[in-house]
Amino acid sequence: MSRMQVLDRLVLPVIGAAIVLGIWQGTIAYYGLARIVLPTPLEVANTLWKLLGNSGFWHDIQISLKEFFLGCLIGCLLGIAVGVLVGVRQDARMVLGPVIEAMRFIVPFAWIPLTVLWFGTSLTGKVVLVAYAVVFIMIVTTARAIATVEPTLMRIGVMLGMRPWEIALKIHLRAAAPAIASGAKAAAAVGWIAVVAAEYIGASAGLGVMITNASMSLDTSTVIAGMIVIGIIGAVVSWLIGVIAGAWLNH
Amino acid sequence: MSSISPKTDETTSPQEARAHSSGLAFEEISHAYVAANGTTPVLRNVSFAVESGQVACVVGPSGCGKSTLLSLAAGLMEPTSGLTRWKGRSVKPGTNPDLGMAFQQPGLFPWLTIRKNVAIGLTTRGMARHEAAKQADEMLETVGLSGFGDAYPRQLSGGMAQRVGIARALALRPKLLLMDEPFASVDAFTRLKLQAEFKSLLKLDKPTVLFVTHDVSEAILLGDMIVVMSPRPASVQKIIPIAREDRDRAGPGYARKMTEALQCLGVETNLSGN
Ligand SMILES: Nc1ncnc2c1ncn2[C@@H]1O[C@H](COP(=O)(O)OP(=O)(O)OP(=O)(O)O)[C@@H](O)[C@H]1O
Ligand SMILES: [Mg+2]
Repeated sequence: MSRMQVLDRLVLPVIGAAIVLGIWQGTIAYYGLARIVLPTPLEVANTLWKLLGNSGFWHDIQISLKEFFLGCLIGCLLGIAVGVLVGVRQDARMVLGPVIEAMRFIVPFAWIPLTVLWFGTSLTGKVVLVAYAVVFIMIVTTARAIATVEPTLMRIGVMLGMRPWEIALKIHLRAAAPAIASGAKAAAAVGWIAVVAAEYIGASAGLGVMITNASMSLDTSTVIAGMIVIGIIGAVVSWLIGVIAGAWLNH
Repeated sequence: MSSISPKTDETTSPQEARAHSSGLAFEEISHAYVAANGTTPVLRNVSFAVESGQVACVVGPSGCGKSTLLSLAAGLMEPTSGLTRWKGRSVKPGTNPDLGMAFQQPGLFPWLTIRKNVAIGLTTRGMARHEAAKQADEMLETVGLSGFGDAYPRQLSGGMAQRVGIARALALRPKLLLMDEPFASVDAFTRLKLQAEFKSLLKLDKPTVLFVTHDVSEAILLGDMIVVMSPRPASVQKIIPIAREDRDRAGPGYARKMTEALQCLGVETNLSGN
């Protein structure tokens, strides 16, 4: 990388952040907003700094991440398995296709009342919800990626003596892997959103709970700090998935 | 089920099976591709047999159905009507352990190295990894690609990729070898070398071969017979037997067979020089 590029990569994002902070600060000044309505960036930064030394905050993050990772893992594995089945086998496609098509439009948030009813505020309810949010994205991207795999490759699999399951795993799934990886990235984003949303409504711990509690005690600064943490964690997770998938796919 | 293996055709009488048991046979094959926008008849009543250990070269105009014929022989699809037999048994869709095939489009797995692309058929059929890799390297050397074992398909030219496809088919040491214009995208000099290598490999294993080519001189050089197909919907227009002495390019047999095949294909020519 040339010096110019290094400079660009450091300076340009800072400019973006500065614009947002400027609008934020400017809005407060222009309308003369009280700090209970909108605290200044500096106040939020201060709150964030204090949160970092608070063990309850780390516990909330840990809970949210655990729900997220378990849900994503289950949702991804199930989604890829069903996606391969639906993508490879016409009969499976005919049986499951319409059900999947209909269910994927019942957004995860519509299930929150039911999961609260069934699982209370436990971890299970959130994991189920995240898995649900992730599974349909994974089914649809996997099946679609498999449908576009070069047909010659399957014929070559048959010629080489592969059994149908070997063709499904070693050719279909492998050829579709890059598309599945980018699907997983999109699914993780939705899964993370589902965690926070579920915690807003029915949970006993987690980032969403921290934020709702702060909101009820009119601690606006903590609400915004929590939101920023949610954004940062989401971005980091998405970036990590991209890095891991890239390293694995490009040997 | 009374069948001995899934490939047994239960309607085959023992006499019939014995009559065809040696090699590959097409019996009244007709095939049409059915699509939403219409039906394309491709093969019409194709019948011929290739004795075990013989090489049949198929020539015919582009688009007449040569690749389709190979797919049927390989069991990659089923004909609309008629029967393909291998060793007397009707070919059913699915894998045939005797088969090795080089496709017209090489179709390499982009995520595997060249060595693994060649070795994967061997490991699938149960060979140990290191042994398969060794044999893959040997076969890559035969097709002039030693040193490319660790490369990926995207790093190869079209002609090189095609040679990997040939190596992959030959590495299987198949009893039934199907080749679809294997030397089409290599230069004339490399082609001569590959043809020579191919001939000596044939002597080793004596597979039954169906070899599609556009090049009549290649067909005479490699084939025990030339199957000339008519335009689509194709049927067998003529079967020209090739004797050993016909392969001498300076001899009278070569010119005669050449003229015969080209006339069949509708090319007006007089190569014998009279
Ligand atoms: N999958 C398919 N679906 C529909 N039509 C097809 C399909 N494959 C081939 N055809 C048609 O069948 C005909 C024969 O195709 P085929 O590939 O067998 O020809 P070919 O003799 O191998 O030609 P070439 O010498 O150019 O390779 C062509 O007219 C083609 O349009
Ligand atoms: Mg062809």
